[in-house]
Amino acid sequence: MDREPLQANGESIMPDSSHFVSAASLRLRLDWLNRLRWGAVAVVLGSVLVVGPWLKLDLPMAGILTTAGGLFGLNLLYVVRNRRLPPVNIRSEIRLVKVQMVGDLLILTELLNLTGGLENPFFFIYIIHVILASLLFKGREIYQIAALAVVLFTGETLGEFFGILPHHHLLSAGDMTHELPFVLAALGAFWLVMFTCAYLGASIMKHNRAIKDELVERQASLVQADAEKMEFFRFVTHEVKSPVSTAQSAVEAALELDGDGLSTPVRGLLERGLGRLEQANRMVRDLADLTRGGELRQSEKTELDLGSLVAEVVVRFEELAASEGVGVMMKPLTAPVILHADANMVDKVVANLVGNAIRYSGGAGVVNVAVIGDADGVVLVVSDQGIGIPAEDQKRVFDEFFRTQRARELSGLGTGLGLAIVRRFVRRMGGRITLESEVGVGSKFTVRWPLEIGNDEETS
Amino acid sequence: MSAKTILIIDDDIDLVEILRITLEAEGFRVVDAQSGERGIAMAQAENPDLILLDVMMSQVDEGFQTAYALRQDERTMETPILMLTAVTDQTGFEFDPSRDKDFLPVDEFLEKPVSPRQLVDLVRKHMPTKI
Repeated sequence: MDREPLQANGESIMPDSSHFVSAASLRLRLDWLNRLRWGAVAVVLGSVLVVGPWLKLDLPMAGILTTAGGLFGLNLLYVVRNRRLPPVNIRSEIRLVKVQMVGDLLILTELLNLTGGLENPFFFIYIIHVILASLLFKGREIYQIAALAVVLFTGETLGEFFGILPHHHLLSAGDMTHELPFVLAALGAFWLVMFTCAYLGASIMKHNRAIKDELVERQASLVQADAEKMEFFRFVTHEVKSPVSTAQSAVEAALELDGDGLSTPVRGLLERGLGRLEQANRMVRDLADLTRGGELRQSEKTELDLGSLVAEVVVRFEELAASEGVGVMMKPLTAPVILHADANMVDKVVANLVGNAIRYSGGAGVVNVAVIGDADGVVLVVSDQGIGIPAEDQKRVFDEFFRTQRARELSGLGTGLGLAIVRRFVRRMGGRITLESEVGVGSKFTVRWPLEIGNDEETS
Repeated sequence: MSAKTILIIDDDIDLVEILRITLEAEGFRVVDAQSGERGIAMAQAENPDLILLDVMMSQVDEGFQTAYALRQDERTMETPILMLTAVTDQTGFEFDPSRDKDFLPVDEFLEKPVSPRQLVDLVRKHMPTKI
């Protein structure tokens, strides 16, 4: 997908004449246009040096080789320019492509003139130019290329017909290029094919363009909706935090100061209330984590050994694991796995995944934790042999407040925010998280981070 | 020996009441102020043995400003300050007294919700043994 919607000067560039939104993305396409041109040179040379003598064609070799040499030279120039000069802006880049395509059409026409004109079936190559134009340009520009091709080839054909241009026979039998009905029929068919191609190319690309625009628009509105949701969560967290926290302190103080003097039912009621307040406070803390805004500052990034960090988290969860009757295994590492990231965020990710794996193991089995480092980045895998997540819920487990039916039955303590925090933190650090799970078999969460963690825009 | 005095600076009057009852039950004398400015005046007047200071009052950083002012005044320069914080939830700040000591001259951070047991333990830990 073409990103970089802005130029260095901040000017929005979505030129009317092209599908491309950045000079860099257009450059990538030009690379294969250059490769195509090398192919054309090879085909011309192969044809005149191998096929020509084999079919005993009497062709003006000097002219053909000079023209092919011209194409070779021009393409070399284009390639060197593309490699040496960085793209400045898309408008100048598009202008250059147009110049290149006009040059290509002129060279093709010249080669056709040297190799039989209308007799040479390679005049179909004009169609390739129209298709290329429909990939690179849109609307009028495509028809302009088609029209130029039509004018050039019609001129060439009529030029030969009227004897203005020399005709080089390709075929030994007869000379069709001077048969008016044939010339007219062939040109008519050629015009029809060229403009039909231009029309189809333009329509298909217009349709694609509309789909792409819609996708971009939807993506933008999703990002906007997500930002608004986070803002709302932040507001609610801010407003709710203080009363809930004070209420919890009040109940705790009451139980602490006079708990023994209370009747059992009253004490029970207060303890229940305290339990719910603690839950509400957990929710507030998780929401605060979830809505922790701003970009990852350079100062927040430290060089950390993911292996040691994960090992520390595993130790922290030993007590919970033992009380749940679950074993936690971590594959020993032979070398440190270094990650440049926010240690606090990575800790939260690991702790949420390991904690969940233990809590939802169903009181048995083993949680396996693995850290793998390679040239592409760092991988963290947390797998359990627990209750598993139904297929229909797997996409939603990362949504805020979503908890599977089974998770709700198993633990009343969860806030439904743990995995939402995990996904948000993983993405903020430029990573990806995937889930494989089967009910009754277990779940496996895989986090992949690039080695150098950047600032993800949370759009993925 | 007279009871040790604790000054609570917090604009949440319910929390102040909870802390007061908890601390008075432990034999401390409690005075309070609902803003940083009044807290500083109260500290100068009462010469407390320890100060409990909230971070966020009417202004986001009111507690920080108050802590600086208290540390600059020679009457309260040495008074232990326990800072009540919920800032972690708000701005993404994470306090670590060992790391932030130079940055912010308080003796301990206590995250809300404040547990009475933990509060009393920390107060006893930081309460000067001699006046």
